[in-house]
Amino acid sequence: MRSTYFKDFVNSFVSIAKGLWVTVTHWSPARPSVTELYPDVMPELPENYRGMPTLPINPATGRSGCIGCGACVRMCPEHIITVEVDKTDPKDRKPAVFTIDISRCMWCGLCMEVCPTNCLKPGRDFELACYDRKSMVYGLDKLMAMGGELPVGPEANDTQESA
Amino acid sequence: MPNPYLELAKQLGVVVAIAVAVLLFMMVAVLYIILKLRWVIGRIQSRLGPNRTGPWGVAQTVADALKLFQKEDIIPCGADRWLFTIAPALVFIPAYLVYVVIPFGDGMTPQALNVGAIYISAISSVGLIGIVVAGWASNNKWSLLGAFRGASQLIAYEVPIILAVVAPVLVAGTLDLNKIVASQAGGFWHWNLFNFHSWPMLPVAFLILLIAGLAEINVTPFDIMEAESELVAGFNTEYSGMKFALFFLAEFAAGFTLAAIIVTLFFGGYQPPLHMLGAQVTGKLFGVIPWFTLISLGWFMFKCWVVVLGIMWIRSTLPRVRMDQLMNLSWKVLIPAGLANMLLTGAYVIFWMPK
Repeated sequence: MRSTYFKDFVNSFVSIAKGLWVTVTHWSPARPSVTELYPDVMPELPENYRGMPTLPINPATGRSGCIGCGACVRMCPEHIITVEVDKTDPKDRKPAVFTIDISRCMWCGLCMEVCPTNCLKPGRDFELACYDRKSMVYGLDKLMAMGGELPVGPEANDTQESA
Repeated sequence: MPNPYLELAKQLGVVVAIAVAVLLFMMVAVLYIILKLRWVIGRIQSRLGPNRTGPWGVAQTVADALKLFQKEDIIPCGADRWLFTIAPALVFIPAYLVYVVIPFGDGMTPQALNVGAIYISAISSVGLIGIVVAGWASNNKWSLLGAFRGASQLIAYEVPIILAVVAPVLVAGTLDLNKIVASQAGGFWHWNLFNFHSWPMLPVAFLILLIAGLAEINVTPFDIMEAESELVAGFNTEYSGMKFALFFLAEFAAGFTLAAIIVTLFFGGYQPPLHMLGAQVTGKLFGVIPWFTLISLGWFMFKCWVVVLGIMWIRSTLPRVRMDQLMNLSWKVLIPAGLANMLLTGAYVIFWMPK
């Protein structure tokens, strides 16, 4: 068997040189760091950021599109959504109470997936820490405030993924 | 007739002043090297490194040192109290003593010895005893394994270091580091590393010294004695507070020592790369320190800085070697190469070198 003693010399020098080249290209100022200076510089959220469920306001009606069907309540794996329907006008169902206990929400998005009117949308707020566990239960006002306004137009109902 | 006690006190005062100055220099150098290391490794890993403490994070290592000062000094039960306490000093004192002979600048060696090269090799291998003592006294299997690994590694890599140091010593014809530096005067093509026109084998000695030196100071390709992923922290697992800080200080001080030895032996020490870049002014700063000393000190520091950056570069690139690979590299590659290099250099010195 031929010894690989001297061949190993050459191989190790070549591979070490390759490794050193890789690291020096990362070292160079042309390669910016990927560190996000989060509290100083807010990160750029991606367009399809999937945050906590919120109830955006439809600008045409001035309230959310929720009809209080309770599909999200049944779907929620953590059972953290409560909906009570305001039945005063049978032709205009709307929620009287809508709460989400955000402290236990795992942001799975199943409620948004199942919503028949597409009124539950992912919010873009992620700084949700607070000092009181009770204030993590978000009511209708808070959810609507966090949701902002729905986009108006023909594609407004198709913003959810079609898959 | 002068008072002999006064004379003694004066001499003692000078010695203490030099010792304190060297210690201060060592502390500052280590603080800077640790900070720079974290910046460099951060950048190489596409991170920023420390940037929160002070402007650009310059106070990070100072903050870390202050934190270590506040830590409780734990001696685990079952540990040998005396040896456990002595071990950090046994590691730290040799790392400090090595600085005595380093020629920082022209006429700026703390104590020039005519056996400087031997002195460095001898003293820096004493630190091994401290490591073994620390591992043994900790009463911890990780510490003991780390210490045994360290013992075998350091013994294996002492030999190639000495074989590599012999080559420039032979060419210069002296063991005095100041004279070795003086023999490289006259521009960078007279430095031992680039001195191809007279004797082309010295870069081999440089490579051997670099590789074996990396193993000697336990940086990453050879850090098996404190391998975090295998032994918790190796020989200093049980140490905390200031004792741990002493180990840390000694480790990085040894890193600077390696850079200083490499610069002294192969990069011309404090000599400027071109004669015109040396001191052109005679005279003294504040009437005390000659300008040529200051400028040569600057060149020495700059070269050490470059070599330390190179060590950091290697350190952040290569993965850790296995124990058997480590031993093979030393006994099968570096020592034969060092012996051959020493023989060839000796033959050159005897037969071909212009007298």
